[in-house]
Amino acid sequence: MAEMWINMGPQHPMTHGLWNLRVKVDGETIVDAQPEIGYLHRGIEKLCEGKSYPQIIPLADRLCYGSSLTWSHLYCMAVEDLMRVEVPERAEYIRVLTIEMQRIVSHLMWLAAYAGDLGLAAGFVYTMRDREVFLDLFQSLTGARITYNFPRIGGVAHDLPPNFERDSLRALSYFEGRLKEYEDMFEGSKIFMMRNVDVGILRKEDAINLGVTGPTLRASGVTYDLRKDVPYSVYEEMDFDVATHKDCDCYARYRVRMDEMWESCKIMRQALQKMPKGKWRIVAPRNAPVGTGLARVEDPRGEGVIYVVGDGSERPYRVKIRSPIFVTVSAAPKMLIGYKLADVVAIMGGLDMCIGETDR
Amino acid sequence: MAAAKKKDSLGLVVRPMRRTGSQVATSLFLGKPNTVLYPYQKLELPIGYRGKHIVDFKRCIGCSNCVQICPNDCMWMEKLEDPELGKIERPGVDYGRCLFCGLCVEICPTVAIHESVEFELASGERSRLKYGPKELRDDAFAGKVKEERQKRLLPILDMSKCTSCEKCAGECPEMCIAMMPIESVGRTKPEINLGRCTSCKKCEAVCPENALKMEEVYESYFEMPEPKFLLKMCTGCGACARACPADVIYMIDMPGTEKVLKDGKKGKPKKRAVFILEKCVGCGKCFRACKFEALEWPGVRK
Amino acid sequence: MNLFEFCYGIIHWLVDLVNHLWYWLGDLLPWWFGDFFDAVGDFAASQGHLSVMTILLEVVVVVVIALINVLNFLWIFRKFMARMFDFYGPYYVGYRIGGWLQNLADGIKLFVKEIIVPAKADKMGYLLAPVIFVGSSILILATIPFSVDFGVSTNKSGDYVPAGALFALAAFAIAPFSILLAGWASNNKYTLIGGMRSAAQMMSYEIPLLMTVASVFLLAGSFGFVDIVNAQHDMWFGIPLFIGFIVFLVCLAAEVEIIPFDLPEAEAELVEGWTTEYGGMRFGLFYMTTTVRSYAGGALATALFLGGWQGPSLIPDEIWFLIKAYIVFVVFQWMTWSLPRVRVDQILGLGWKRLLPLAIINLMIAVALKSMGWF
Repeated sequence: MAEMWINMGPQHPMTHGLWNLRVKVDGETIVDAQPEIGYLHRGIEKLCEGKSYPQIIPLADRLCYGSSLTWSHLYCMAVEDLMRVEVPERAEYIRVLTIEMQRIVSHLMWLAAYAGDLGLAAGFVYTMRDREVFLDLFQSLTGARITYNFPRIGGVAHDLPPNFERDSLRALSYFEGRLKEYEDMFEGSKIFMMRNVDVGILRKEDAINLGVTGPTLRASGVTYDLRKDVPYSVYEEMDFDVATHKDCDCYARYRVRMDEMWESCKIMRQALQKMPKGKWRIVAPRNAPVGTGLARVEDPRGEGVIYVVGDGSERPYRVKIRSPIFVTVSAAPKMLIGYKLADVVAIMGGLDMCIGETDR
Repeated sequence: MAAAKKKDSLGLVVRPMRRTGSQVATSLFLGKPNTVLYPYQKLELPIGYRGKHIVDFKRCIGCSNCVQICPNDCMWMEKLEDPELGKIERPGVDYGRCLFCGLCVEICPTVAIHESVEFELASGERSRLKYGPKELRDDAFAGKVKEERQKRLLPILDMSKCTSCEKCAGECPEMCIAMMPIESVGRTKPEINLGRCTSCKKCEAVCPENALKMEEVYESYFEMPEPKFLLKMCTGCGACARACPADVIYMIDMPGTEKVLKDGKKGKPKKRAVFILEKCVGCGKCFRACKFEALEWPGVRK
Repeated sequence: MNLFEFCYGIIHWLVDLVNHLWYWLGDLLPWWFGDFFDAVGDFAASQGHLSVMTILLEVVVVVVIALINVLNFLWIFRKFMARMFDFYGPYYVGYRIGGWLQNLADGIKLFVKEIIVPAKADKMGYLLAPVIFVGSSILILATIPFSVDFGVSTNKSGDYVPAGALFALAAFAIAPFSILLAGWASNNKYTLIGGMRSAAQMMSYEIPLLMTVASVFLLAGSFGFVDIVNAQHDMWFGIPLFIGFIVFLVCLAAEVEIIPFDLPEAEAELVEGWTTEYGGMRFGLFYMTTTVRSYAGGALATALFLGGWQGPSLIPDEIWFLIKAYIVFVVFQWMTWSLPRVRVDQILGLGWKRLLPLAIINLMIAVALKSMGWF
């Protein structure tokens, strides 16, 4: 059969989000690939220039709606760097607790979409059902389920509700049992392994040269995690390992994310244990000084950076957002060429694309 | 924790099917499925859930802080006539644009607006999504919701009764009250440092004119901006005092500024505005009302 | 009594009734017209025509039973899947019978949808493909009997089709052609890929299928369904030919295109595969026909391997047959929702490299059993 260009997207069940992937196939083998993004551009960086600092927090939530707490927390960290504000310690521990819970939620959603794409409908439903347990915890803490609007400049919005510790420990022990079941159901299924092993290989040098970060980089054997290498918040006091894997294929990326979920459970338990008493929020100044603020955070998808420029008024002069998936998408052709058309789903699903942060 | 890849052939079919088979047995025989038969059964939502707003008309002072902080411009102030409260301005919400972010709840100085658990707000037409203040009114919600903001008992000054006798400054055990002179008036007014106040109520007891009253004030986590007053531009028109919702501004006579009229009598003295900034909620209405540029608002360049 | 005799009785009664009216009418007319009327009446009621009408009525009965079973299958499919996924399934439509009427409601919804024919599609192929697909799938049911008495072309009076099973399998194999036609004629790259994949998959799984069925024919000594089932009165063929049974089930799953072999219709990649461009009731026909094919496949598996309609006689034979077919269907559904999709080159590898040797081994076992005189 002759070579032809196929458009996967922008309206497609596989692409989680709104982007286009053009692949050139020769029969079933992929010969070339061109991702096209920009369909979900909402002008968030420009919108930020017209809003005051507290008003941007709900907007930052909607950057990546899959893991919204990470982005609003990152924005608050950047503004606190600009305004030179010290966050109380209880607020830092609450932030770490909620960020790790958000990481679990985001990875569960990735797992659901991944299993659903591969045809395993049972995997989709079970992971979504267990995600509800954590969303209920978030609901009792912040009042919303997906876009929480929880971090504030100078701390967090609410204190932990009563019985939160008991409920989260119960949720964690339930969840760790289910994680074991998922490993059994996914890795014990030979068909799943056949679809994932030796598919979509991204070598270590290519990963570093293309600027890929996050689980994709760690699945290629590079031990680089911002929580350990450039620690922020109270991560220095938490005891956890960085999950890496030496095969560079889709199975390695799956394995790295499962290990990250185990580590997040560990960190959550430690945060609940070590939480000090005290204030959870301080009054932050309304006007920012003239200057800049920068913050980097380990998003479930990679490294996110926000750079804020203040000009003395209550609105920022410029907010610049660096998204990890923007870089990983450009690395996609390296991973796709030479594999079959049916592997596109496994490979692109393994990258955990969230187009909200890519297009901003 | 990388597990070894299992390569046995039981994994082709048997192991996953065992998992789903046990799930079928559980949801058929050992209990009910996980879902809720909406709309015949409803979920129980926790009390902090952010849904439809409720406004307590009695607590609200009409300062429009909520309207200003809304990220998406969803709210507006509506002028109403209430039989008990007279001519008031209360907020309405457009749920077609509302993010349910809860910022309006946090910035309200008197905890007059809250988000309830009601979430069934869908309707067939966009115009019906605009909920005016009357539809949001619930004057007794304070007993039903969890209040998180701390409140303190603080002395609030009523300048119309103050005679500058300076007894409160002498009585306060923490030395929170300082008598500051009011420019061109020749009197002093007490300025209270609310951060040090321990609510001992001694100043209220000693004031002979009952100008200091202890009231419950809610703590605010947002820094409220305060206006800066320029005396030489003030004409004493009183527009700022009429616009202020929180009773911060008092127009006081400046003695020695009476004009001599044509028939020899003395006219009324000029007035100037006096600010009791402890009560200020940072709404900015005075700044917008003043037409003579006598007020400066932080962050706004001239 | 036979299905044929039953339908013959009905037709005879009906034709008698109509003929009474006809002759009475003929008597009212003048003589030169009356003779003509009588001649037509006699001609229409002759033996040959009555047989033809009987066969038509039998076909209608069998097709209606098949469609009702399809509705049942769809209901079981949705409820079983729902309980596996921890939710309720169809609940409100037909509230007291567990939501059985939901499928009827969905069918009526499909009727009122707009049917769009793509402008650049090959009209002839586009319109012809559903016809071939549906027609050939219902044709499979022509020779499969529910019991000795209940079948269109397997009556006891001696004129049954001697190669019933062969005919059923042949009709089963016409469908890949129509899928390829549908995929090509829709003028869409996705459907083209879906059609090609489907053709490759079905072609490569026909061979192990036919080889296992050949081993059954060997043991039974004939090609007809009644003889095959009667040869299983001691022991069902599924037990000595266990490997063959497993191979047959896997090949059936690949022919009917359910997950894990559902790549031609893979939702995540190809939207709907080869049925993407079909809308409204045309799509409904495709969907219904895949269920008819799985019903026919279950019936074939029952008749060939599970002893057909044999069972304790407190339940009538037809119900036994249906129960066994339903059990095969439920096992298929269980497999569908627990396993991920297999990639197309892995499917072909599985077909050619694993199932074909197993089918050959099965054939050798059947030869050994037959030569030892056990069957």
